[in-house]
Amino acid sequence: MISTIIRKEILLTLKDKGAFFWLFALPVLFIVIFSSIFSGAGSMTYKIPYYDADGSTASGQFVEQLGEIKGFALEAYEGGSLEDGIKEIRDGSRSYLLVVPAGYGQLAAAGQTAEIELYRDTVADEAVAPVMALLESVSAGYQDYKLRSILAGMGQNEEAINSIMEPAISIKEVKENATKANAVTQIVPGYTVMFVFFIMINMIQNLLKDRRSGMLSRLQGTPMKPIHYLVGMWVPNVLVVLVQSTVLLTFGQLVYGLQLGHPLAIAVIVLALALCATGIGLMLALLVSSENMGIAMVQIIAMGGAIVGGLWFPYDFLPKAVQTIGLFTPQYWAQKGMQDVMIRGADIGGIGWTLLILFAFGLAGLGVALLRFKKFALKTT
Amino acid sequence: MTDVLNVRGVTKSYGGHPALKGVELKVKPGSCFGLLGPNGAGKSTLMKLLTGIIDADQGVIELFGLNIRKELPAIHRLIGYVPQDITLYEKLSGRQNLTFFGQMHGIRGSELKKRIAHVLEAVGLTERAGDEIASYSGGMKRRINIAAALLHQPKLVIMDEPTVGIDPQSRNHIFEMIRKLQREGVTILYSTHYMEEVEALCDEVAIIDHGQIVSQGGLRELLELHAVKAVYAEAAGVSEPPVVEGVVRATQEGSGWVLECDHPLKVMSELSAQWADDGVIVKALELMQPTLDSVFLKLTGTTLRD
Repeated sequence: MISTIIRKEILLTLKDKGAFFWLFALPVLFIVIFSSIFSGAGSMTYKIPYYDADGSTASGQFVEQLGEIKGFALEAYEGGSLEDGIKEIRDGSRSYLLVVPAGYGQLAAAGQTAEIELYRDTVADEAVAPVMALLESVSAGYQDYKLRSILAGMGQNEEAINSIMEPAISIKEVKENATKANAVTQIVPGYTVMFVFFIMINMIQNLLKDRRSGMLSRLQGTPMKPIHYLVGMWVPNVLVVLVQSTVLLTFGQLVYGLQLGHPLAIAVIVLALALCATGIGLMLALLVSSENMGIAMVQIIAMGGAIVGGLWFPYDFLPKAVQTIGLFTPQYWAQKGMQDVMIRGADIGGIGWTLLILFAFGLAGLGVALLRFKKFALKTT
Repeated sequence: MTDVLNVRGVTKSYGGHPALKGVELKVKPGSCFGLLGPNGAGKSTLMKLLTGIIDADQGVIELFGLNIRKELPAIHRLIGYVPQDITLYEKLSGRQNLTFFGQMHGIRGSELKKRIAHVLEAVGLTERAGDEIASYSGGMKRRINIAAALLHQPKLVIMDEPTVGIDPQSRNHIFEMIRKLQREGVTILYSTHYMEEVEALCDEVAIIDHGQIVSQGGLRELLELHAVKAVYAEAAGVSEPPVVEGVVRATQEGSGWVLECDHPLKVMSELSAQWADDGVIVKALELMQPTLDSVFLKLTGTTLRD
């Protein structure tokens, strides 16, 4: 009996071309768009506009030196005179302008302190912060060079100078993850998890349509039991989500080189995610009073969960309060589990909590649906 | 012989509003039993109680001697339910729909194929079996809707207004199907608000109004007992209702009069003599055939609301 309902639902799903767009084409499109936008973020160059009022060899060397620092590029101001540039800042059309003032070269040659000017909009703190950090770093570098020159002049050898100039603390970068985390390891699992939850719309529509059309009443006139009906309507959606997730993750792997990690661990997460989303979908279908209400609820769960669960932005970027809320969403656990496997090389043993929580959500959904079935079916009258 | 259906003192309310009030009903094996009542009389509620879709608040329902509360699975194997709505999957073909309903009744394999072929032939849709239901006419959908309830060869077929909104040709096809089923020994419970359907198909009738069975019996018996007896009289130059002893009400109909009375033959005789004495030329003087319309009118005080 359950297999009969499953077969029927699969047949109906295969004939529903619209569902293919929502479940497969749209998420692929999202992954392509957002991966294209963000996958180059790591190599993004910060452009600094400058005005060289000195025009000397020394000022040219200074600008060249700044431009050689990774992540920054110097861009000569071509909007006119220095006054024009300052006016643009006052107008709010420019955040800042780095100026090498006239006389810089002479002061530098004389070994005196040469001033570099940074004209800036008072309210543009965030935009200016990286430039300030850069200039302070360069300034420290010049200071370091000056000290080394003085020490050499005092007759210190290279070894002694290095010993004197050695910083009190040094930073050692240790990369612990098995795979490099990047935009793709955020976007592909993120959008896969997000779109999985849209299966709930299909479930709500199908179950409410069965009730509205009188089909459920008719089936109740057969030897069918509530559990047969619920499981029969549930399992095909689980299969759809399994196929959907496989397609999206494989797409990420083939097109963007996403490393999936331990295949069995990913497969089990996908299964747990499928049971979770469809279990909640089944529960919602039997709780909502109308299709519109159901769709609204799905939007809240799918989109809200995506934001607070860290599917759109890395979880660590979220405010503390949002992070706390995110812990209560299945999306957070699904994303965490996938990233644990993909980035940190976890196997099934390392994703126990993820699996437990996702399965619990799914079973709770099925349980509520079973308890609610009689009331749901009675609404046919 | 055990009644196919025995309903005793059944009540059902929705949110405090009574839909059925102490319904009593008996259906004999092999009969075509008509349940006649206007929309909202409680027919569909009774049908859903009989199929176990909903539970009664009070009372006992037995089908084939089995209590519906205790032996519903066994009852489901014996009954076929044709709901008022067309409950088919539009995107599946007629054959796929029938396969689904057959399997829901536990029929599989070659036996299911054989039965599908049989019911398709019975409803005259063998050639269209592979087409999507969405491409069927309303009448064809109704026929497949009925066919789906016959696959498991039920002993009782419960039909809830199965001909709503269809063309006369499909209606005749369905009537032929029902008569054939009855000839094969299947008991039919046929709910409708069309008098002419009950008169054409049923040998027993129950009239339901405001959640109560107001009368039940054989069709002839009901007509005999409850139909209003009347004489139709029409004569040249007579514009006033004829005054004859025993006439309880005279209503103009066309250019003649319908004279309701308890003893129509006596009224006819007296009126014939009266008009002969007056030298009136008689155009028509005849007994009116009793109809379910008049039975319903007499029992409920209203006409059937369509």
